[in-house]
Amino acid sequence: MSTQTPDAVKAGGSQPSISPTQASEPNRFWAGRSELIVPALVLALAGFLTWQTATMQVLGSSVPGPQFFPTIVCVLLYAVVIAHTVQILRSPRGLDESTSESDQNAGHTMYSDWKTVGMVVGGVAGFILLLPVAGWIISAAALFWVVARALGSKRALFDVSIAVLFSSVIQLAFNAGLGLNLPSGFLEGLL
Amino acid sequence: MEQINLLLEGFSHALTPMNLLWVLLGALLGTAVGVLPGLGSAMAVALLLPITFSLDPTAAFIMFAGVYYGGLFGDSTSGILLNTPGNSSAIASTFEGHRMARSGLAAKALATAAVGAFIGGLLATTVVVFFAPTLVKLATAFGPAEYFALAVFAFLAISSVVSDSIIKGLAALAIGLVFALVGVDGPSGTIRYTLGLPQLFDGISIVVITVGLLALGEVLHIASRIHRDPDAVKIKPSGRPRLHRHDIKKALPAWLRGTAFGLPFGIIPAGGSEVPTFLAYGTEKRLAKRRGDIEFGQMGSIRGVAAPEAAANATAGTAMGALLALGLPTSATAAIMIAAFQQYGMQPGPLLFERSGPMVWTLLASLFIGLVILLILNMQFAVLWAKLLLVPRHYLYAGITVLSVLGVYAISAAILDLWILLGVGLLGFVMRRYEIPLAPVLIAVILGPLAETELRRALTVSEGDIGILVSSPITIVLYSILVITVAFTAWKHIRSRKQTEAESASASELTSV
Repeated sequence: MSTQTPDAVKAGGSQPSISPTQASEPNRFWAGRSELIVPALVLALAGFLTWQTATMQVLGSSVPGPQFFPTIVCVLLYAVVIAHTVQILRSPRGLDESTSESDQNAGHTMYSDWKTVGMVVGGVAGFILLLPVAGWIISAAALFWVVARALGSKRALFDVSIAVLFSSVIQLAFNAGLGLNLPSGFLEGLL
Repeated sequence: MEQINLLLEGFSHALTPMNLLWVLLGALLGTAVGVLPGLGSAMAVALLLPITFSLDPTAAFIMFAGVYYGGLFGDSTSGILLNTPGNSSAIASTFEGHRMARSGLAAKALATAAVGAFIGGLLATTVVVFFAPTLVKLATAFGPAEYFALAVFAFLAISSVVSDSIIKGLAALAIGLVFALVGVDGPSGTIRYTLGLPQLFDGISIVVITVGLLALGEVLHIASRIHRDPDAVKIKPSGRPRLHRHDIKKALPAWLRGTAFGLPFGIIPAGGSEVPTFLAYGTEKRLAKRRGDIEFGQMGSIRGVAAPEAAANATAGTAMGALLALGLPTSATAAIMIAAFQQYGMQPGPLLFERSGPMVWTLLASLFIGLVILLILNMQFAVLWAKLLLVPRHYLYAGITVLSVLGVYAISAAILDLWILLGVGLLGFVMRRYEIPLAPVLIAVILGPLAETELRRALTVSEGDIGILVSSPITIVLYSILVITVAFTAWKHIRSRKQTEAESASASELTSV
């Protein structure tokens, strides 16, 4: 069996309906089973593919047509969802040889650092929104600064200069050297 | 021999100052990403893709090949000194390499690794030069059914071998196939899975997918761990990496054995060099036990470093052969290089040798030049390369994030591509979090369209008779090898699972007593 204690497994198996926040010991069921998000994602993908394949406006009359291969992929997706779900439910994380060691002390080390991930994702999203308005130099520098900050840089002012230097060098190299245009935003004309 | 003439001609093109510069650049960059844990040649080539549009294809591929080989040279450096392998291909050589470093033999371990990588790469590239024309001849006999069999072989082999669970590999494969389906269907002109967005009519750019999965996904993964994992302790190498004659005598059989393991794995789509390096390491371990070698596992054995390193680079060499002659990507980096060929409007495979012969032979010649350059770079300057590890990780990954968005924006200046990049990056993060392999996604994206076209073509010719798929000797051989491979890996998974179960059972017995 897994490296979890037996009673944790029993509790998780018999009371799957308890939501993780309400349980007196939270994360009992979800500990080792958060991986269920993967089959959930694949299921969503399979649903999308099924719906789109069924409603596809097929051009031409070739046989096998454009829906043939996607149908095979759909079947594969559903099969994977079922097999993966069963695998996760039967043996929560820890059974695989590669993870068993780190699961022995499954304290905080196993949990992802959502704050840092969120900062990086936010930084990239911010960059995409900012790019058409502020241009490459400012938005790329901001992205660099945010990611460096999120990953633990302490020297905020020094980072600003590195970030601006980095994005400016790229802008120069691209516009002058490779002939590709990066948007310069409202700085246009000044540069 | 015809090949030798062609190769010499290749050398005459490769030895121009400009082409030498590209080899050197590729080697430098490849070693750098190899040394740095978490970065690899696949990510480097993916980030370079958009920047190389303005280069001529020969220069671009010379550089890519330098990066590919360089990544396998550099990856053992951080493994030996830090006990953190630069890449999964160096995990096997890290065991003994780091033991050697702790026993004060860091310089010798680095030299053994560099020479091993050189020998593996050299022998493999030589094999490719002599056998590529044979492979090409074989491939010209391929029809739709054979190509479909090849694609299925690649799909299932990579999904079953790379991951610790075949289901996870298949999940990755299926996700990749869905990516490949988006866009206008070639044969019928039907618009598929674009949600009506005209930007997606050409499909999702392979650059977006590779950069998202390999670069941004890695940054997010690091972000989720950086405040959690403890820092590694670094060992300072002393002395210059040099091998004495008795070292060479000891390591030579291991280098050759490692190469022998690596060679076939370059042609089998098993996700690169992880499997052969472990096979090579396991063999050395068993041989050491039989010989009564006490160094192995204690002080660190030179053979335990030599064999896996040679295996890794031998894989890369024959992978280049499979890539050029068959158009078959056998690792993530090779998959991205195929994408690069497609960007230039070329399709690797038999036709490539016919149509772009000079380029192929120049590329093969520069592989040899690249190996020599890499040997010098890694033997003489291993200590300098280790200094790269001093670059603060937050700046490194901030830079990679900016280069990712730059690369994706540079393809077509489309904001939509950037949003897709973010989505694919998040997917890459989730997949890393749950140890789902990334290589099957890339192989599926590259070979998915080929598989679909050839399957439909075969069934059109046979008027729907599925029997055509197994009607020729080549297809039967391919499917038989596939069945054996999958059965073997399944058996291995079950065995190792039983082992861990037995171990954890005995462990829990101990704790409960």
